[in-house]
This record gives sequence, structure tokens and C-alpha cells, in this order.
Amino acid sequence: MDLLQLGNYSFTSRLILGTGKFSNSKVMLEAVRSSGTQLVTVALRRFNREQLEDDLFGPLRELPGITLMPNTSGASTASEAVRAAHISRELSGSPFIKVEIHPNPQHLMPDPIETFEAARILAKEGFLVMPYIAADPVLAKRLEDVGCTSVMPLGSAIGSGQGLATAEMLNIIIRESGIPVIVDAGLRSPSEAAAAMEMGCGAVLVNSAVAVAGDPPAMAEAFAGAVIAGRQAFRAGLMQKSGAAVATSPLTSFLGAKA
Amino acid sequence: MSSSPGWLTDERESALLAGMLAPSSPVPLEALAAESKAITLRRFGRTISLYAPLYLSNHCSSGCAYCGFASDRKTIRRRLEPDEIERELLAMKKLGISDILLLTGERTKAADFDYLRRSVELAARRMQRVSVEAFPMSVAEYRTLAECGCTGITIYQETYNRDRYEALHRWGPKKDFVDRLETPARALEGGIKTVGLGALLGLSEPLEDALMLYRHVRHLSRTYWRAGISVSFPRMRPQTGGYEPPFPVDDHLLARMIFAFRIALPDVELVLSTRESAAYRDGMAGLGITRMSIASRTTVGGYDDTGRTDKGQFDVSDDRTAKEFCAALRERNIEPVFKNWEPVFNGPSDVQGTTMKPEEVHICH
Repeated sequence: MDLLQLGNYSFTSRLILGTGKFSNSKVMLEAVRSSGTQLVTVALRRFNREQLEDDLFGPLRELPGITLMPNTSGASTASEAVRAAHISRELSGSPFIKVEIHPNPQHLMPDPIETFEAARILAKEGFLVMPYIAADPVLAKRLEDVGCTSVMPLGSAIGSGQGLATAEMLNIIIRESGIPVIVDAGLRSPSEAAAAMEMGCGAVLVNSAVAVAGDPPAMAEAFAGAVIAGRQAFRAGLMQKSGAAVATSPLTSFLGAKA
Repeated sequence: MSSSPGWLTDERESALLAGMLAPSSPVPLEALAAESKAITLRRFGRTISLYAPLYLSNHCSSGCAYCGFASDRKTIRRRLEPDEIERELLAMKKLGISDILLLTGERTKAADFDYLRRSVELAARRMQRVSVEAFPMSVAEYRTLAECGCTGITIYQETYNRDRYEALHRWGPKKDFVDRLETPARALEGGIKTVGLGALLGLSEPLEDALMLYRHVRHLSRTYWRAGISVSFPRMRPQTGGYEPPFPVDDHLLARMIFAFRIALPDVELVLSTRESAAYRDGMAGLGITRMSIASRTTVGGYDDTGRTDKGQFDVSDDRTAKEFCAALRERNIEPVFKNWEPVFNGPSDVQGTTMKPEEVHICH
């Protein structure tokens, strides 16, 4: 069976859903259900113990067959992210932590230096660390070396809907990686998710594209189908793209020619 | 008198915005609205984050011609004592509020830095996120506030037109235009994570103010790359003191400004307060605005004892309850978000940008 293996957890679904940005938690839960996802990420800062209507953690925890992956969004340094991870583990009971460190709350670009530091510490502590990073092949290997469970490079900037703008770097990361590569951020359409899976990603994470779609649950289902199709295509082995056109005067006709 | 900085008048910086705002702009308002809405949805989703103001004190040492709290007004002066602050916080929490903006007038003996610091400490114990809109402070004072749990400082320039500024601020510490202009930078130096900027629309020529406000945002973003910046669009309303705004901004121009700022600054938080009407706020939710105040009182205190009828700093236009306002947002398919922060992220932002020191790593184990 083709399973996504993350630490000692295995999943049949290769679609991970983000839970922010939805118009209400009812729609969010419907989208989670219709996506068939088994792993969802939720921000610690959206955990509200005091007002249940506002809380994202509670209702997600009730869903059967769903593993929570809390994220540290809001942290701007490694030490904040480490502390957030500890609180998240206590609240959710999940060993997963999506390390998200933005030095600037506006651009939402991940800080590679702080992320590496936090990931190193948390992996040592036994977390299943899933760092959100720019599509940087060297950083991806460094994170694998310190024991991360997966790397989550961005397809393009969060909420930009620019798709796989980083495809060239993603291809290198996937080719070299010994751990699952999960494309996170920037996907707008199911076809882009399928393309990411065809490239050999272990999974994709989608949030905005589903949350702000006209019909979020229907879009979640569309992404689920695309992810399955893309994965099947990857496993089936895509037909080779032809190389350069063959020159009419062969370039190698001199080989074996008599002196 | 120090001269205004060069970035304030750099027209190239704001050319894109100027094109969208010019009275002769060929871009229809409807087209700006559509683009602004699309950007807001992609970047912020179908959510509005909520906060509420708590006026700690209306003591003031400045003579702002347009303000109900100016030191020559006959308003009754009072400040909240710690036990009153505690009661206000509890009353606000009952409304679901967890993100609070603490306000005072310009620095006075009655409401000085120590008073403000103690108030921030009290608020940080009860609320998830605490911001301050008070008086300009030193870098060291901002650092102290950040250490006490203050993550945001709101400080409006009021108007970026220096002549108008100096005429409107008749006396007091606020009279110094350049000092005011440099205050957000001092807050960021002190480790405050987010600064809120704005011009009080109606005081001066609005297009000029909008362009300079934009340059201020760009200047701070470039200089303090870790800084969160939010922009508010406070529009003058009738208030204590009876000041009539000489450059009134109509609904259409305000809308054009909000859309243009969203398009030019896709990631910046844009704020609209209860100065605006219910209909205007509901209409703007999701079109560009991402943060709104809720159930606001502009009197000193006012949440714990809502029967009082003293005059606030300005009259609230959208006086719906928290519940009513949230219901209206939900009707529009937008989620009101009360908590979008975690106190674990409090503390001065590391403006130097360093990785963890060995001793910090030790603490984490």
C-alpha cells in the first residue's frame, strides 16, 4: 500500500489541510471531511480556551481519524517557536509540530536561521518536526540532517496563489531528499497540486485555495482528487519529455570514422 | 527646529499609490474594489481580527485643536485606578475580547509612564494581546513596555503636513512634528513588534496625507525589516470641543484610499474603527480592511459601568454590541476572530536578528 510515512505515523491521504482563513468553523470542518485528509495544521494562536465559537482546536479534536499538526505561526524567533511547540503538544497531545517562524508578520516569509535552530532543538526533544521553509535545497538537507520528519518548502509566497513558482528548486529538493517533501503555500488550483505530486512530492498542504473558494468543501474534494491523480502518475512513471531536436546533420557522425 | 526627513517627500516612492488616488485617476472605484477584495481574500482569508479600546485616562498636556481631551477643554478629568482597570478588563472579557488597545492622553503627572506600565502589566495578565496608544516615549521606555507584554504601539501622525500640524497642535509636547514622526521608529528600536500608523482624515489635504503616510510605512518597512505595520483610516467625527474638520473626506474618497493602500501594500493590516457607521464597516469587511474595533467605548473606562453618559474622545458611530457586530460579519460569510495571538510570542522582538544563544537552548530542555 502506498502510504505517506511521517515518523511512526502513516497516512493514506497525501493532502494536508490548513484550517485558518475560513468563513466559519462549520465550513472548515466540512472541507476537512470532504478532503479526506488525515492530517490538519492549526495555529496555536487560534486556540481559544475562553471563547468556544472562536476556537479552532476543540472542534478539530472531535473529528475521527484526524491527526493534528499544531503550528507555531506568530513566532519570530527560535526560542518563541520552541516554547509554542511545548504548549501546543500539551494542548493537542500531538507529537507533530509545524515550525513556522516569520521574522516579519507581514511577508510571512520563513526565517531559515531561526527555523533551523528551532527544528534542531525540537527534533532532539522527540517532536515530529515539519519545518516550513523557502525552497532552498541546502537548507532542506541541513534540516534532514538534524532529524526533521519532513521538509515543507513553499511553492510560492503564502496566500499568493502563484502556484509552483519555485519548481526548479523543488525538483532539486525532491531529488536529493531522504524524507518526504511537502509543498506548502502558494497553490491555487488542483492542477498545481497534481503537478507537485507528479514531481514526486510526498504530500501537499493547502489552505487559502480551499478556504476562500466559492464552495470550500467542493474545492477540498477537487484537491483530494488531484493529489491522488498526481501521485498515481508519479508512481506510474511519466513519459520522458524528449530532449533537444535531432540535428539534420548528425553531431556525432565522426565517431568511429576511419582516420 | 530639526528638518523633515528626505523620505517623507520622495514622490517616486508613492507613484503607484498617487496614480490610484489622483482625482483624475482613470481607474474606476469598482475596479480598485475588486482588486483589493481579491488580494485581501488571498492573503487574509475570510476573517476579520477584532480588538477593543480601553481609555485609561483623559488627562492631557497637549492642546490639539481638534481633540475632546485637549488640556483646555472643560471635560472632567479622571484616570482608572488598578481595581477599576481590573473590573473593566473582566467586563471586556465577558464580551469575548482578548485583544486590547490601552489609551491615554499626552504624558501628564496623573498618567505618566509608570502608570502606563502598571496598566500594561494588569492587562497582559488578562488579555492575549495588548497594544498601547498613548504618548511618545524613549527607546528604553518602549523596551520596558515590550517586556511587560505590550506588542503593539499605535501612534498617528495626525497630519503629515508640517504647517497644518504646527497650527493644530497649539501647545504641549505633541507640538514637535519631527519628534512625533520619529516615534514609531523608536518603538521598533525598543522591541515593539507592530506599529500602527495613520493620519486623522479631515485635518489637512487628504491626498497629500495619504501619500506621506504611505512613504512613512515604506520607510519603516525598509529600515526595520522585522516590523509589523498596520495602517488605520480614522476619519474626523463631531466631538467634544465642537471642531469642524476643514478637509472633510467623503465615503468615496475614503474607500478609494483603503483600496489603494491594500493594492500597494498587500500584506499590511488595515484597520477601521467604530468611528465609521455600521453600514460602512460591514461593506468594507472583506474588501480591504482586516482588523476592526468592536463594542467600543471612548470614555474613560465604560465597559464595566455602561450607564455613564460622560463625553468620550469622539462619538462612536457604529454602536452595535459585540454580538450584533459578529452576527453581521457572519451574515457576510466572514469570521470574526477574537484571538489571533498567543502570549508566548510576547517580549521584545530581537531587532538584531540573532539565533538562540547556548543558555537559551539550555532553558528549552
